[in-house]
Amino acid sequence: MTDSPREKFIVPIGPQHPALKEPGNFEFTVDGEIVTDAAVRLGFVHRGIEKACETRNYTQDLYLLERVCGICSHIHATAFVLGVEKLAGVQAPPRAEAIRVLAAELERIHSHFLWLGVAAHEAGFDTLFMYTWRDREVVMDLLESLSGSRVHYSVNVLGGVKIDLSQKISDQIKKEMDFLEERTHYYMKVVTTDDTFIGRTRGIGKLSKERAELLGGVGPTVRASGVKRDVRVIAPYSGYKDFSIQVITDDEGDLEARFVVRIKELLEAYRFIRVVLDQLPPGELTTRIKRKIPEGEVISRVEAPRGELFYFIQSNGTEMPARVKVRTPSLCNWGTITDVAVGHKLADMPMLLVGIDPCFSCNDRMVEIKSQSTPSHIMSWESLRKYGIEYYK
Amino acid sequence: MNLSLHPLILLLIFPGGLFLMNIGLLYEWIDRKLVARYQNRVGPRWFQPLADTIKLLAKEEIIPQGVHKGLFLALPVIAITGALTAAVYVPLFGFRAVYSFEGDLIVVLYLLSMMTLCIGLAGANTLSRFTIVGATRALTQMFSYEAPFLLALLGPAMAAGSWNIGKITAYASNNLWLILAQPIGFVVALVGLMGKLELPPFDAPEAETEIVAGALTEYSGRGLALFRIGKNVEFVVGITLVVLFYLGGIANPIEFILKTAGLLIVITALQSLFARLRIDQTVGLWWRLGALMALLQLLAIIIGKYLGEFLR
Amino acid sequence: MAIGVLFGDLLKSLFSKPVTENYPFVKRKAPENLRGKLVYNPEKCIGCMLCVKDCPSNAIEVLIVDIKNKKFVMRYHPDRCVYCAQCVQLCRFNCLSMSNSQWEMASTSKNTFDVYYGREEDIAEILERAARPGIDLPPYGKPRPT
Repeated sequence: MTDSPREKFIVPIGPQHPALKEPGNFEFTVDGEIVTDAAVRLGFVHRGIEKACETRNYTQDLYLLERVCGICSHIHATAFVLGVEKLAGVQAPPRAEAIRVLAAELERIHSHFLWLGVAAHEAGFDTLFMYTWRDREVVMDLLESLSGSRVHYSVNVLGGVKIDLSQKISDQIKKEMDFLEERTHYYMKVVTTDDTFIGRTRGIGKLSKERAELLGGVGPTVRASGVKRDVRVIAPYSGYKDFSIQVITDDEGDLEARFVVRIKELLEAYRFIRVVLDQLPPGELTTRIKRKIPEGEVISRVEAPRGELFYFIQSNGTEMPARVKVRTPSLCNWGTITDVAVGHKLADMPMLLVGIDPCFSCNDRMVEIKSQSTPSHIMSWESLRKYGIEYYK
Repeated sequence: MNLSLHPLILLLIFPGGLFLMNIGLLYEWIDRKLVARYQNRVGPRWFQPLADTIKLLAKEEIIPQGVHKGLFLALPVIAITGALTAAVYVPLFGFRAVYSFEGDLIVVLYLLSMMTLCIGLAGANTLSRFTIVGATRALTQMFSYEAPFLLALLGPAMAAGSWNIGKITAYASNNLWLILAQPIGFVVALVGLMGKLELPPFDAPEAETEIVAGALTEYSGRGLALFRIGKNVEFVVGITLVVLFYLGGIANPIEFILKTAGLLIVITALQSLFARLRIDQTVGLWWRLGALMALLQLLAIIIGKYLGEFLR
Repeated sequence: MAIGVLFGDLLKSLFSKPVTENYPFVKRKAPENLRGKLVYNPEKCIGCMLCVKDCPSNAIEVLIVDIKNKKFVMRYHPDRCVYCAQCVQLCRFNCLSMSNSQWEMASTSKNTFDVYYGREEDIAEILERAARPGIDLPPYGKPRPT
């Protein structure tokens, strides 16, 4: 059995697989149940958004970039708007900034509940999946009564926000925060004490602090390994300059630590929202901003629910941007999986994948690899189609 | 109760054969509806499993490349045959068993295991990466739960002093309910039933999020429908066995409905409570905890029997 | 360490009504700021075309009937619209608003996705002027089917 060279038995997860909600290709080389190698291939959801940004003016781009991801849509729009406002030299009024971070924290709550459900589903724990998504409906209804839509809230405009908070909505939010806080404590108890669930999460995917920093991970994934990195605290933007927030870390570094960190972030978000609602500054909602943004380049960093989101905007003085570059947090975290996967069992792979909270639609941007051998060239549609057919033969 | 009908009718229409398959569909519906209610959802309507089966039977059967065609087409038929033949020896719905002879408990258990064997073979036959992993897991799981489950069903057999299902049920209905006399055995039998039927938390061979559909990934159309019907029949037969032995036998159809419904509520609650166990955790749990508990129970029964005779 | 921590919740769910709403039979009232279908009031419109310029998906067209007397007709494509309410934000005279009662917009025919807003006589004039395929648009000269 061991004399002949071992044939590689590769189990593919994706692009079509019940474990993934979006397409992505992972190939795990297994030996029985133990994984010996892992490889990642992305690029299935490339939509050419960065190129499309160059032919639309800034306002249209705002709504286009909002639709990069459905779960973290508001934070993409906020990052873009903060960058453009910095280029134009305009500061949004304090009430607008406060409403922006309020929506951002509500979005974080909705994203973490969604993630809890999906992670429970990957572990085979469908009951917890149904319960967390039932509680997530509360947040979605809140966002709907606040902004008018359950996803893609479109809260931002260049120079401020569109929506205003009345006393009735403010009271409703506070009431729902109480309800959600009670449920979150219950989920914390479930995640840390249920025997079967701990059997799937404790001690799996242990990532040490040095390794996490070396691989350049971001977000709650590496905060669970003890890396104290949170853009809202290191480089405060928008409303976080007026209202402070705490960094949540955990030292274990395994899957259970990632659950604990995200649930604690939920509790921190509830406290933050209550503070913002109590101290909401009065004033107007928007300021004037010119249609032609002056020339320049700007970098804008915000903290999405998955980690640090990075925007680079280059303007050439016209109504349309010259270049918009989006670097989403999920892209940084893939390295942590392939690093840790070897030695674990096949059944742990979906749990590891979901532990970094992957958002495939955010991921696919164009990367130009300058290779020595083949020169880069531009393909026409016909030749691209022919190439694709030949490749898959 | 006794049924005096022509044996062919007993075998093919009632209570075996067609009627049993329909009761299997009914039980699948009750199971799904109860699980949905535990999860705060509505759940499917009563004709959903029937609609699923009819739809599957009407679809095209795709035979993947590289399989042994005869084996591929024959395995679903063998699986459902095993389950239906096992039902012949079990007294279902409160009626006496169609045929019975001394030692038919062993035959029934063997026939029920044939279904799992067929699933394992089907997975190994289709050379897809998912099915091979699924087949390995199914066979591994079979090696782990068979021994404790058999020992748990052996307990009542020892107490009754016979291998004949009919005689064991007579003993069980005449004496104190065995769930009270042999509680550990009941727990092992119940959890063993969940392992045999690949119900969560023991559904590693069929883990949807890891290996698509396990050993049955490449099946479609008629083959898949037959496997599903076979699984439902096994569900009914398994529950009936546990109820017969531990819940005091079944005297008439009304008692059948009540007792099996009660057991179903407990089984579905257990289904929804736990996360899925990895295959190595399942094997570890069974061989460490399950076999130990079953042996303990047997020891208790043996000691109890000797003490009883000694005191008499 | 505990087994079956969810048990209390499980029992409670068994005896309470499911959370699912049977949609076609039970319709929840939409919140006030729901962004539904766009509604246009031609009375105050001055034809600045800002809404057309900034729409991310080209869902609005403002057709000029008579520019001196400020008669405009808006052609709105609900299937292209992303319901972002940017046009509502931009309009300085509050001609546009998003309805909160019309949000069920699935349809089986294509002409529900070609909505004209405006005064009656203006819409009639626009449709009169519209090109007739085969007569004003190519292929020319094809006899009209009798």
